[in-house]
Amino acid sequence: MEFVKKSAPHLRRPNANVVRMMRDVAIALMPLTIFAIWQHGLNALWILLVSVVSMVATEYIYYQIIDRLNGETFKLNNKSFTVYNFSVVVSGLIYGLTLPDEIPLVVVAIGGAIGVFLAKLIFGGMGQNIFNIAAFARVFVVLAFGGVLVYSNHIDADLGATALGVLNQDMLDGSVRDGYSYWAMFSGIGLPGSLGETSALLILVGGLYLFMRKSFDVYVPLTYIGTVFVLSLAVMFTQDVGFWYPMTHLLSGGLIFGAIFMATDPITIPTNRPSRIYFAFGLGVITFVIRLFGNLPEGVVFAILIMNMFVPALDYHKWAKSKFTVKSVSIFSVIVIITVILTAVGVHYAG
Amino acid sequence: MISKARKVADYKQLTKELPTLRYVDPERVYINLQSDRCQTYTLDVKENDRVQLGQIIGERDGGFFKQPIYATVSGTVEGTTKKTHPSGIEVECVIIRNDYKDEYHSTITDRPENVIENMTKAEMVDVIRQTATVGLGGSGFPSYIKLDTDKKIHTVVINAVECEPYLSSDYRLIKDSPEEIFRGLKYIMQAVDAKKGVIAVKKTKTELIEVLERELTRFENLNIEIAKLADYYPQGWENETFKNALGIKIPPGTLPMEYGVLGFNVSTTSAIYEALKHNLPITKRHLTVNGDAINFPQNIRVRVGTCVKDLIKLSDGYSEDAKDIDFVIGGPMMGTSLDTDDVIVTPTTTSVLVFKSQDFHEEPCVRCGSCVYSCPVEIQPVNIMNAIKRNDKKALENLEVNKCIECGLCAYVCTSKIHLTDYMRKGKKLLG
Repeated sequence: MEFVKKSAPHLRRPNANVVRMMRDVAIALMPLTIFAIWQHGLNALWILLVSVVSMVATEYIYYQIIDRLNGETFKLNNKSFTVYNFSVVVSGLIYGLTLPDEIPLVVVAIGGAIGVFLAKLIFGGMGQNIFNIAAFARVFVVLAFGGVLVYSNHIDADLGATALGVLNQDMLDGSVRDGYSYWAMFSGIGLPGSLGETSALLILVGGLYLFMRKSFDVYVPLTYIGTVFVLSLAVMFTQDVGFWYPMTHLLSGGLIFGAIFMATDPITIPTNRPSRIYFAFGLGVITFVIRLFGNLPEGVVFAILIMNMFVPALDYHKWAKSKFTVKSVSIFSVIVIITVILTAVGVHYAG
Repeated sequence: MISKARKVADYKQLTKELPTLRYVDPERVYINLQSDRCQTYTLDVKENDRVQLGQIIGERDGGFFKQPIYATVSGTVEGTTKKTHPSGIEVECVIIRNDYKDEYHSTITDRPENVIENMTKAEMVDVIRQTATVGLGGSGFPSYIKLDTDKKIHTVVINAVECEPYLSSDYRLIKDSPEEIFRGLKYIMQAVDAKKGVIAVKKTKTELIEVLERELTRFENLNIEIAKLADYYPQGWENETFKNALGIKIPPGTLPMEYGVLGFNVSTTSAIYEALKHNLPITKRHLTVNGDAINFPQNIRVRVGTCVKDLIKLSDGYSEDAKDIDFVIGGPMMGTSLDTDDVIVTPTTTSVLVFKSQDFHEEPCVRCGSCVYSCPVEIQPVNIMNAIKRNDKKALENLEVNKCIECGLCAYVCTSKIHLTDYMRKGKKLLG
């Protein structure tokens, strides 16, 4: 028996570890995965398998090579073995769920491998990446293969379904909802769109699970979705369109999916609560602006990548505080009000 | 996990209802001549001198204060030796062989209640100084300096929160002798002329509240309140206690006296009672022996100067299946780990904890923010860690690492099991 000198504290929180947190996200994605396979058949199964396997394999091979270069002997379960912590599995699953159902598998594999390599591994692996891996891979697929492959499907393949496409052409066209009841848009049954993004209901179930397990920061999706909702409400009131307008913004496209599963990836968001709320607010504004004025019908993944770049600024030690102060709340409220007014005015002139 | 997490499992059920074992007659006691606050000393006795309980045998010098050294048993001086102080440093100790007679020195006399009632503040402070009463919550800060404040004090708070897990010595003290605490509080209120007294205790400790409330009926003429505080860590941190018991926020870097409040630990209160009532220095204290690598967790009433080795023997030794042990003096969140059990019990030793040594598997930081959400002083441990890694002193200043009280909560809650508290210490050192 020996005395081992340690520094305080001598206890650690039970049931708190990275593996559990990442595994929780994977579990929260399960209803969506099953729904995607049920709705789209074997296609979906293959896409999800390929997206997960391509990411996991890339990371595994990368660390095998790194260990080899560092003079380790080959072992199946190598020194830098990282698959156990589920982080790459979760990235792969989220990436797969954002894809349209008739995308060629080779595109899925290339997107996954490039995504995990460029967005994660060369930055130094888990905890070091600047960009959300799934969003990066997804954007890579859109930009590299979008013109040839994704859009040629008979279902409008870009993240959002038809509704957003129509909205993007003519932002106040009430016909977007034709044929889809609120229930269809909420449950996702029979709705065209990406594998895992159509069913708001199941996404919210996953979110509820994550909330109860405290495995994500619930303020981020709340602020994100709330911002989009408030901005579309502003448009609704100034343009005199019906309540279908904000509801369409909420329920279509990847908003809820992105807000709950991608914008909450703790590695690529700020660490302070106020900064997280500013971050989510920025996400909402950029998403809404891209949806209304941009060339693409969908803005969620782009918004996430853009706001990822602002994380160091939001966390900067000169101004980032861990609690809201009177000053920060007042500045933030002024910014929110200005944004709402600017959006309403912008829609008036652009529409 | 990504949330404010301030509940720390308290493990007190292991010992809190156990009766207090008495172990007040060790064969030898070792009285430290130095301490972490006092480097130099004078020793007035030599080998084979006979000393009595409560006799002054020397004086420690802590720079801005001097502290008499007392014999805690009657017996013969056997010379000096080196022993480990609970703070981890090696100190010179005088050995006294116990003659088991407990002969009190002539200065140890009872003061009748009416004499105490007529004592002035200066007289009381003098008694506290003479008896070397210090803060027994662990700080070891001389109590007379606190009492001798020239600020107007309106409230005295007795801190009975004991928020560190595993410890139950204060708990046992209140259960065993609640009257001493009330009397101690009364004396303190008299000394600083405070109008109000508050005993702060966790609201989950219903047994204690019962005992205190029963005792309170005997002191109804005093304006004493029992504040029931929420059960989280670090509720026992003085500023947190004041905030929740009185609603007074004390900014870091300022002293509570400036806001008219004064806080004392329960054990200190009981020591102040002993000092004023019996003119007795601290010779005994309540101590908890606990942890998962000790065979019989116990509460022990122990003589100051006892060697901890004896107490381990009394608790049936270390458990056989413990390979390596983490031997801690003080609480598990803030206590010091030592590499030997040849330690002496000083007045401020609240507990001896023995844990099976665990190596926590550290993962890369996932920036979940739990440390930021949980920090009681509202700094950002994760960003401080990153600033230390890139040696950015400007950032450390802006992130106010010096506000850190080293409560250990950031490392406790960390999802990746990173030892953030160590980084905080490093950060303070970097700033100098």
